[in-house]
Amino acid sequence: MSNAASTAVTARFRGPRRLFSSLEGVFNEEVFFLILCVFIGIFSGLAVVCFRLAIDWIHLALLGPLPQTHSWRLFAVPALAGLVVAALVIHVFPTIRGSGVNQTKAALYIFNGFIPFRTVIGKFICSGIAIGSGQSLGPEDPSLQIGAGIASALGRQLEISRDKLRLMAPVGAAAGLAAAFNAPISAVLFVIEEVIGRWSAGILGSVVLSAVSSVVIVRWFLGSEPLFRIPVTTFKRPSELLAYAVLGIVGGLASVAFAQSIGFLRPRLKALPRWTQYFQPAVAGLLIGLIAFLGAPQIMGAGYDSMDQAMHGQYAWKILAILAVLKIVGTTLSFVSGAPGGMFAPTLFIGAMLGGAVGDIERFYFPQLTGSTGTYVLVGMGVLFAGFLRVPMTSVFMVLEVSGNYEIIVPVIVANTFSYLISRSLLDVPIFDMLTRQDGLVLPSLEENREEAILRVEDAMLPVPTTILSAQDYVDANARRVQDSTDATFLVRMHPSGWNTISRDELQRLFHEGKGEHTLGSLLPPQSLPSLYPDLPLDSALRYVNDYPLVPVVNRANFRKLEGVVTRESVFKRYESDRTPVGE
Amino acid sequence: MSWRFPKLIPRSAPVILLLLTLAAVAGFAAVSHLVARYNANQQSRGRKLYQQGLADAAASRYDDAINVFRAALTCDPTNSQYQLSLARALRDSNDPRRLDEAESYLIALWQRAPQDAAVNLALARVAAHRGSIEDATRYYHNAMYGVWNSDPDANRSKARIELIQFLLKRGAPDKAESELMALATALPPAPDAHLQAAQLFAQARDYAGELAQYEEVLRSDPANSAALAGAGQAAYREGNYTTASRYLQEAVNANPQDEDSPQLLTNTELILRNDPFVGHISDVERNRRIAAAFAQAEKRLDECAQQKNVDLKATTTPATASGSAPAPVPTTSPLLLLQSLWTEAKPDLARLRSPAETDLPDAIMDVVFQIEQQTAATCGQPQGLDLALLLISQKREAANQ
Repeated sequence: MSNAASTAVTARFRGPRRLFSSLEGVFNEEVFFLILCVFIGIFSGLAVVCFRLAIDWIHLALLGPLPQTHSWRLFAVPALAGLVVAALVIHVFPTIRGSGVNQTKAALYIFNGFIPFRTVIGKFICSGIAIGSGQSLGPEDPSLQIGAGIASALGRQLEISRDKLRLMAPVGAAAGLAAAFNAPISAVLFVIEEVIGRWSAGILGSVVLSAVSSVVIVRWFLGSEPLFRIPVTTFKRPSELLAYAVLGIVGGLASVAFAQSIGFLRPRLKALPRWTQYFQPAVAGLLIGLIAFLGAPQIMGAGYDSMDQAMHGQYAWKILAILAVLKIVGTTLSFVSGAPGGMFAPTLFIGAMLGGAVGDIERFYFPQLTGSTGTYVLVGMGVLFAGFLRVPMTSVFMVLEVSGNYEIIVPVIVANTFSYLISRSLLDVPIFDMLTRQDGLVLPSLEENREEAILRVEDAMLPVPTTILSAQDYVDANARRVQDSTDATFLVRMHPSGWNTISRDELQRLFHEGKGEHTLGSLLPPQSLPSLYPDLPLDSALRYVNDYPLVPVVNRANFRKLEGVVTRESVFKRYESDRTPVGE
Repeated sequence: MSWRFPKLIPRSAPVILLLLTLAAVAGFAAVSHLVARYNANQQSRGRKLYQQGLADAAASRYDDAINVFRAALTCDPTNSQYQLSLARALRDSNDPRRLDEAESYLIALWQRAPQDAAVNLALARVAAHRGSIEDATRYYHNAMYGVWNSDPDANRSKARIELIQFLLKRGAPDKAESELMALATALPPAPDAHLQAAQLFAQARDYAGELAQYEEVLRSDPANSAALAGAGQAAYREGNYTTASRYLQEAVNANPQDEDSPQLLTNTELILRNDPFVGHISDVERNRRIAAAFAQAEKRLDECAQQKNVDLKATTTPATASGSAPAPVPTTSPLLLLQSLWTEAKPDLARLRSPAETDLPDAIMDVVFQIEQQTAATCGQPQGLDLALLLISQKREAANQ
């Protein structure tokens, strides 16, 4: 090659190189992370599309396209598929046991964002078989974990910082859940409410980006049809809120029964000899199949079609009530047997059926109630979500997002509040925390965190000292003022604003050194003391109390007004009085 | 066992993003291919199920059809045709609980294509099932003015006819009549369409409209026996007995097997022969007809009184010679009042020939008409000349109103 030709080739490649090197400066870690979140959403969305197709395909292949009653397939298929799933879980994918939500939380809090990629593959295959064969479980929790696993793998591969890597799992979880529900707001809220537990612009932005991009992908491939065809929903008279409150109470009690049955059976089945674990999903599948065989095939799988029919008044109240009870039984059996799958869809199913049943009974006795069956079914979904999963905010937004109807927001809030409060009062630990503790992990309970009383500066604040010195006064005048005081350190009000401190010994020393004619302010360092506000968390005082003997606490509206002071002793004493043993 | 991706990716942000973009594009293409194949399989399965559902629905096995259509929709959830068919099956299953779901499907379809005439027609039928005249009328109108995939004129006529039938069934003849007017102006030239329209006019009691439709048929097919009989009946019901006689005579000639027309023709001829108010007869003939009607009225009154065990002589015979009391007769019996009216009017017959008594024919015939109407109400529908007199009375009343 001639020199001229060589120069031309070099010049051709210099362009892209220059472009890359100039782009290099644009991507700081924050920007890069946000862009990465979009890709996480895209990959999670693609994976969830494949997952949903897999479930449908398995369902069609194993159970056929037409709903059948009294067919041997109904109990043979879930039983045999249970054997396959058990073997896969025990021998190939042991890490897929348990709830995807908890595994994502564990990745965030314990494993530095690490979720093995094998878990993603295992969840995909085993959940697909379990749900497609008719186990009473939903695809949302596996989708959540598939998204989290993909994000974790990507983050590890790109060697991003540990802090960001920890966040990758929840970001992926939001993408997976949003894709599964076709509801980005609910997914974002759920992940923030149940997994991350804190709000910040960075976290919110990344979670929203991933959720939205995954939903776009799912809608691109599977259409933007909502999960249900929403019927006309009405709420006309405020007095009808009483009817929804009753639904909230019934839903709260059902949530407790559902959670208690899982909490009771799961450790007992886990404690059985190891060989039984090969058969537990099969037995669960057999029992669910028998229920279906005897006339309730609606409880198999996620059950969205049946929810849709309930929403349109296709079932009488007795059928609705029976389906709600049978779904609790079926989902409990499936979940405690170790079959992989989620409880989101079953929770919605139980809530829908219960809502429809309660609504129909109420309207029978009080025909003047204007809410349609569909309205009660929708509210019922939120009620179980609030009571069983204990995510009150997500439960409200989930109903609104799924229904696209803000007219029912008040009934939803009222019913969900009742359900949540009943569940909280009857059940100490939310279901996710209960499962975590049964698995031997101690993850932060975000509900407890939310409810935890935060210690504030005002809780450790001492009263305003009786002697406050002025920086504008002479040293000898100030020395005279402290003679009657027993304090060792005094606050000095600086001019025009700010605070400082001086010890009795220091003041005496200045006086004896003949500086009595100097103003105190002229002899003190010019920097003012940091000041605190009464409503700040007490943790913020810890930054200063070691460096300063007194820290002034001032009013937010008038920073010259002193509300009190905190000292190292007062802060530690307050923490000591509030201390609870670790692990309780 | 645990595995991780091999670390192949260089640590440069633009390169990483480029590779991620390429991976996303590749993933997108792969999933597109997968989804396309899956959708093709599902659509094929959905079509088979849909055909099965159509067969079930055609055989009125609506429960089976609903299940199959639902399954078809799981294969192809956005297919409007499947949704429409499921909605129709839900609506036609005669289960009121299913109307909500049918309506929900149809409303969703309507929101996507509000101009779709088939969807509007289905919604109209749901509203008709619910008995909502306002909604049904709105959706039927939407269907009439909407977009039809095939044969729009015929489908629009059918939709309007369905609306008219619904309105008539729901007791809204005024609204039905205005729809009939619109229908009459837009009917295709086919005789069947006019015959059907004539029947609707008859149901709406618009006999002039009915006659006009039959005459429309006869213009193109003068020997159409159904139209001749219908025209005769319409004219008969309208009270246009001259025209009725003509059509009925032609109907009897055209179709000797016609069972109704001969009887109507007999009635018509009786009316034409005995109506004293027709214009083309002499005074003598008019007086003869009045006298005959008066005599017939007495006969009818007697027969009815016997049928109801009423002694008409009780008003004129206070007691028998033997001193036995007559049978108790309710003084309020309408037959007795009619008898007294008839008795009072009898002397007037003799004064009919007087040219000064211009109101007398009307007065005498009023008595005849009252007797015929009251006896029809008390003793049932008369036959022969009594029926003719009754119909003349009704025509007379209508003319006076």
